[in-house]
Amino acid sequence: MLTFVARRLLTAAITILVVVFLAGVLIHLVPGDPITAMLAQSGNASAADIARLTQQYGLDRPVWQQALIYVGNVLQGDLGTTIRGNEPVAPLLLGRLPNTIALAVAGLGTALALGIPMGVIAAVNRGRAADFAVMLIAILGVSIPGFWMGLTFIQVFSLHLGWFPVAGTSARNIVLPALTLGIVHSALVARMTRSALIDILNEDYIRTARARGLREREVLMVHAMRPAMISIVTVVGLVFAHLLGGQVITENVFSWNGIGRLAIQAMLQRDYPLVQGFIVIFATSIVLVTTALDLLYGLLDPRVRRR
Amino acid sequence: MTVLPRLTLSALLLGASALTALPLAAETTLTVARSVDADGLDPQKVSTTQSSQVTDLIFDTLVSLDATGAPHPALAESWTISEDNLTYSFTIRQGLTCHDGAAFGPEDVVFTFTRAVAPETMNPRLSQYGPIESVTAEGNVVTVKMTEPYGPFLSYLGSFALPMLCKGSVAADGAFAPIGTGPFSLVEWVRNDHITLKANDAYQGFGQLVENKGRPHIDTLKLVVIPEAVARMAALRSGEVDLAEPSLEEAAMLSGEPGFKIYSADLSGQQVMAAFTWKLPPFDNPEVRRAIGMALDRDAYAAIAYEGLVSPTTCPAAPGLIGVDQEKCAEWGTKYDPDAARAIMEGLGYTPQNPLKIKLSVHALPGFDQMHQMMQQHLAEIGVEAELETREVAAFFDQMSQENQRTEGMPVLWTMGYSGVDSDYMTVMWQQPGFVNMGVGAELDTMLADQRMLTGEARVAKLQEVQKYLLENTYAVPLVSPGWNWLWASTDKIEGFKTGFVASLIFNDVKKID
Repeated sequence: MLTFVARRLLTAAITILVVVFLAGVLIHLVPGDPITAMLAQSGNASAADIARLTQQYGLDRPVWQQALIYVGNVLQGDLGTTIRGNEPVAPLLLGRLPNTIALAVAGLGTALALGIPMGVIAAVNRGRAADFAVMLIAILGVSIPGFWMGLTFIQVFSLHLGWFPVAGTSARNIVLPALTLGIVHSALVARMTRSALIDILNEDYIRTARARGLREREVLMVHAMRPAMISIVTVVGLVFAHLLGGQVITENVFSWNGIGRLAIQAMLQRDYPLVQGFIVIFATSIVLVTTALDLLYGLLDPRVRRR
Repeated sequence: MTVLPRLTLSALLLGASALTALPLAAETTLTVARSVDADGLDPQKVSTTQSSQVTDLIFDTLVSLDATGAPHPALAESWTISEDNLTYSFTIRQGLTCHDGAAFGPEDVVFTFTRAVAPETMNPRLSQYGPIESVTAEGNVVTVKMTEPYGPFLSYLGSFALPMLCKGSVAADGAFAPIGTGPFSLVEWVRNDHITLKANDAYQGFGQLVENKGRPHIDTLKLVVIPEAVARMAALRSGEVDLAEPSLEEAAMLSGEPGFKIYSADLSGQQVMAAFTWKLPPFDNPEVRRAIGMALDRDAYAAIAYEGLVSPTTCPAAPGLIGVDQEKCAEWGTKYDPDAARAIMEGLGYTPQNPLKIKLSVHALPGFDQMHQMMQQHLAEIGVEAELETREVAAFFDQMSQENQRTEGMPVLWTMGYSGVDSDYMTVMWQQPGFVNMGVGAELDTMLADQRMLTGEARVAKLQEVQKYLLENTYAVPLVSPGWNWLWASTDKIEGFKTGFVASLIFNDVKKID
């Protein structure tokens, strides 16, 4: 088990290191110069100022050199300073991470609260009207663009009913973005729950349980749901990882002060250090979540440890 | 207890209860929704309009510009300029207080200039300070010496780009906290979420565009960030915010709706224009550029694409800035005349059947999209087939830097905007290499350099010479003004809101009425 854990952690560390280097290189492939973009908005984009700041920010160095310097700095815990406003990147991103995690957890909770019952209903009623109805709702949920759903929620629940504020980052504000994210991701949870349950409900031991006269609810909740949870946990991990970095649009629509919003603004401004910092933190989160899942599987299933 | 003391006691109790029941003067909070936040609150490290809109509320300037752009005393109660235009002596006003309670004085002014031009500050607006040689204080007078004359200096000193800091802004360890003498002081900044400012009780204002020279009427000003236009308008309509940046479509809709007001930044100093990759044939031919200029209908763009919320403009620098005379520019530049334009193009062999193929390279902004579609139609009418290429801002400027250097390939007509408090920004744009390499040549470079050496009427004349050159040679086709971040909407319960130069926000006169 110890070797398995060490191998997984080493793989995670190497992956993060490669991501840090690639973040340093790939950002320069995006067209657009950060200094020109910045100064163009100041009414002062003189060639002399552009040249001076380009040199001061080290952007005149070869890309590989900039990337290596970046890796070195990150290894020392320094994510650099922003080009816009000249602020340290790490506190800027880490200060918003709790907001992003809070929304991700709330969105995931909503997705599970909606998706699991939907999947169970669909699996139990496989091929019947209830199955089609639930799956149709799930498909609609995943097909409706998140930003459209979010704006509609604002119009209905904030503007017309006045139940929730339109914008901001607080406990009251989290309801609508969590609902938006939850509905969008509940489709995946519902489908995964449905297919896992259908497989398990056809197993011999389920038939045996039924033959023993157990009630259907007991068969479902005790004998079928527990093994199905392994597949559902996989989806939960992936959805959570996706929510950590993929809720940019929802954060924007609801003015939720998370790292996604900061990242999209940084990308438009070509604020390289901030974008790189976001990639590093996002990638690290994904790697940590998937590593934790790997370790969890290893704990649950010895066959995984031996691979 | 006799009757009298009982009555007295009752009266006292009644009085006391009445006093407690009296409503205390309610704190007035004005909530303003903006699309993006400030990049920072250090005015010597930020460059965006949205950043300076905030720092402008915290810091004041040495001079104050009136609606014509002329400088008036502000933190400096007077100034003199040496005959050789190299030395400026500012007499600093006494009795001013910084937000931290310290007295504001000449040493703060010296500190501001010294820090602004220090290389380690990495000031993105360094060149606007001009060729400063030294800044010294003696008594109440601060002397700024230049290595060469710098005509726009006073204009820039009146802009939100060059405000005066209090020394307390920078701690011993170098940490920055915005402490100025402005109408508001900082309470809290949660980046990308909100900025809370409170009224400066000791404020003494000298702004030429402001009526209330004392403490602002509102107590608290909260600037919240709501990126989505639809959500901003929902917040305005629900009363969650008092003032918001509307989209162009919303502004047009609200302008006819009771209960709302629309504000346009008429003094923005912003200018939208079309320019050419003039090194690429056939745009190296002034006649072709002239024909294209004559095909573009700026009146229609202002009225239709911008919903009548902007004005057509004829000068290469924005209305209201020094040396800008719309009538003279109208004489020098192209007028809308599609028939004459078509005749020129036909003479050169281009017809709707055999069109000149060009790219119309643009970036997206409210109103710009509709204008570009109209431009395509107008160009098609004179035998020019324009392929529209839209990029986001950062990529667009990068692309234009390359396009403006090319000497072969498909010619490009492009649109852009620029803003400032002084027509000197034409120097930044057009003096070689110029903004995104759009510089023109030695003759214009000399004129642009000369205007910086001059002051007063002589400078006005030189700035007009520059504009005449640009228009007669059709390097630029001015279109409309203003053009971005220039619209605001409020409920009709807000009075006294104004915008100043470069879309600065003025809250000194704002009152919330019931």
